Amino acid sequence: MGDSREAKRVAARLQARSLELPYVGEVPLNLDLSRRDMLKIAGYGSLAAFLAACGSTSTTGGSITATGGNMSLGSYGSDPGSKAGVKAIVDAFTAANGGTKVKLNTVDHGTFQNQITSYLQGTPEDVFTWFSGHRMRFFADKGLATPIDDVWNAVKSNYTAGFEASIKGNDGHAYAVPTDYYPWAVFYRKDVWAAKNYTVPTNWDDFKKLCEQMKKDGLTPIAFADKDGWPAQGTFDILNLRMNGYDFHVNLLTGANGQKWTDPKVAQVFKKWSEITPYYSPGFKGLTWEQGADQLLRKQAGMYLLGLFVSDEFKASGKQADVDQLDFFAFPDVGSQYDAEKALDAPIDVYMVTKKSPTLSNDLGQAKAFMEFMAKGSTQVLYWKNAPGSIPTANDADTSQYPALTKKAVDIVSKAQKITQYFDRDSRPDYSGPNGMQGFLLRFLSNPTSDTTSLQKDMQSFWDSLPPE
Amino acid sequence: MATATAVAGARIRRTPRGRRLKPARMVLHAFLFLVAILWLFPLAWALFMSLRTYGDTALHGYISWPTDGLTLTNYQTFWTQGELPLFYLNTLLVVIPGVTLTLILASMVAFCCTQFSWKFNLTVLMLFTAGNLLPPQVLVVPLYFIYTHTPIAMLGSIDIGSFSFALFSDNNLLYDQYIGLILIHVVFQTGFATFVLSNYMKTITKEITESALVDGANVFRIWWSVILPLCRPALAAMATLLFTFMYNDFFWALFLLKTGDKRPITTALNNLQGEFFVNNNLIAAGALVACIPPILVYIVLQKQFISGLTLGSTKG
Repeated sequence: MGDSREAKRVAARLQARSLELPYVGEVPLNLDLSRRDMLKIAGYGSLAAFLAACGSTSTTGGSITATGGNMSLGSYGSDPGSKAGVKAIVDAFTAANGGTKVKLNTVDHGTFQNQITSYLQGTPEDVFTWFSGHRMRFFADKGLATPIDDVWNAVKSNYTAGFEASIKGNDGHAYAVPTDYYPWAVFYRKDVWAAKNYTVPTNWDDFKKLCEQMKKDGLTPIAFADKDGWPAQGTFDILNLRMNGYDFHVNLLTGANGQKWTDPKVAQVFKKWSEITPYYSPGFKGLTWEQGADQLLRKQAGMYLLGLFVSDEFKASGKQADVDQLDFFAFPDVGSQYDAEKALDAPIDVYMVTKKSPTLSNDLGQAKAFMEFMAKGSTQVLYWKNAPGSIPTANDADTSQYPALTKKAVDIVSKAQKITQYFDRDSRPDYSGPNGMQGFLLRFLSNPTSDTTSLQKDMQSFWDSLPPE
Repeated sequence: MATATAVAGARIRRTPRGRRLKPARMVLHAFLFLVAILWLFPLAWALFMSLRTYGDTALHGYISWPTDGLTLTNYQTFWTQGELPLFYLNTLLVVIPGVTLTLILASMVAFCCTQFSWKFNLTVLMLFTAGNLLPPQVLVVPLYFIYTHTPIAMLGSIDIGSFSFALFSDNNLLYDQYIGLILIHVVFQTGFATFVLSNYMKTITKEITESALVDGANVFRIWWSVILPLCRPALAAMATLLFTFMYNDFFWALFLLKTGDKRPITTALNNLQGEFFVNNNLIAAGALVACIPPILVYIVLQKQFISGLTLGSTKG
């Protein structure tokens, strides 16, 4: 502890000294340096701009697309297969489009989805991977996607009307190019069914009888896994589509035409659903979809209503013999007038052009060329070879290489008169999440036979509490 | 703290040679044993999972004896599919400048606040300490907009193979840049580092500073040639702590980086999750591999860690 007077004296001297600290004088020198740097940077910058301009002048007269140059692509395809597929597409595009350099940014699927709003408002890539349906229209309405009617007009002869409808925004413009899809259906193992002489049920009563028989045979009739909340929405979708029809379903999910969740038709869906809940896997609230698929794989469960991606789990288990046993059938009729629609969930994945990409003004021609390239069957088959769970959408895709399961999937989707995108793609995101529909369905599933009036009231009041989109 | 007192206590109390086994001691050991198992169980379970193939666990469930035997394929896949070396390099690019900058800045503040008395001495120190109380999550949204609107010079890049490190920025913005990530780490760690370093510097007598002043050294010189060498143990302790803090960061890299390939190793673990399919065995292997560097740092610099925990716990 020094003498306090002494300390004060030193402090005073220090203050006096700090006024004349030598490096104050360095500041102008620094500024000078940075000014020179700035000039240098400006020089390099204009040189780069000049070179870039040279590179992209090869635009063909009058065409909306451009060759050479650069573009960037933001992809959520983080699965090993998807990653390889996108890489193959990008390489093929570069080769086909006069050496256009594609900067590919792959972000893991979950993060990409969670951050999409800030991503599209920040500094997105020129082109990005996304979903069709309400989720696409939402961002189109917000002005965060570039309409691509010119591209669509050039490629639409390669698509069916169902796909065309799926990429139109609320303003009637085209916003995306559909590249792949997969259907939801009831999956089963052929060997298990052959051993027990089960036949595919085509109506509700047969379906329930089959469940009863499976229960007697010691199987879990229907594998069900809802830990993550979203798988249960698939059952709600298909029941609502079969019982109340496509138009009712779409109105309900978007709140259009004053459609309310308190409608007695919704109560009917829950009532019908409660007839098959006794056949579900025990403890399904703690099971992930992979664990549900494992029950099918291990021959413990008889059926499983899920997307085609269930085959991923069969493949990951490492045995081709198991994959070969996988088969599916369309959800049975329930005896309503809407059975004829054969509607089902078949989510479509799309590519879109962003609006706020800092490089888009330079790259728009290349981006549009890429979108046209994505609409080719040959491009989509390239992707499908790496990620077989996703089926090409283009008419000219070479279907001869498809295995039986994929052919069947194409078949059931082409027979469907109406196609929906899945609950969380057709409804608003904040309603389909854990606080909304996911939670409500779990509530229903914990006591399926009880009256759903209060549940439906809560569903509607939650809907009403959401801010306007 | 508990560890520190235990260590100190053990040193003071010499244990008598022929001691009897007291029941209280047995209970204590049983308790410690149990707690150790509780702590080690998740790690051991992750290790067990990571050594089994996905097919094996899918067929037999996670609670089962491995029928296919244990393999290292998950680690192999992680190394190749996860592009591990790249992400480790990313981490280093963030952590090394981050730790260095934090220590330089924090030691400057601590030096001024402890070695000289001026009016706002305590206020400045309190300001820096108070910064620690701010939860970073609160700042995410404003920070995102600041980052996407702050222009940063683009000065070319250093390319090593497929890896490209942009000097300052490759998109003229602070967003999606290593430099942005480094800055946010520096900002959030400087408070804590200042607090600890100033407590340590308080134990250095002011006479040293004063005699240096008398000898004609300027303030910068005193900080660099007198105080910093004296603080070496504290700086080493802080460096190891800061290394683990910045290494463990998952949050900032997720929000302030857009490019998947720029992510540090911790955030890159997320890349192993696909759209639908998640290979938990592979993720367990990845998480264990990502754990190794901090564990190594801890083992090598254990002494510094413990002294780091007790830094400033006694008044000088």
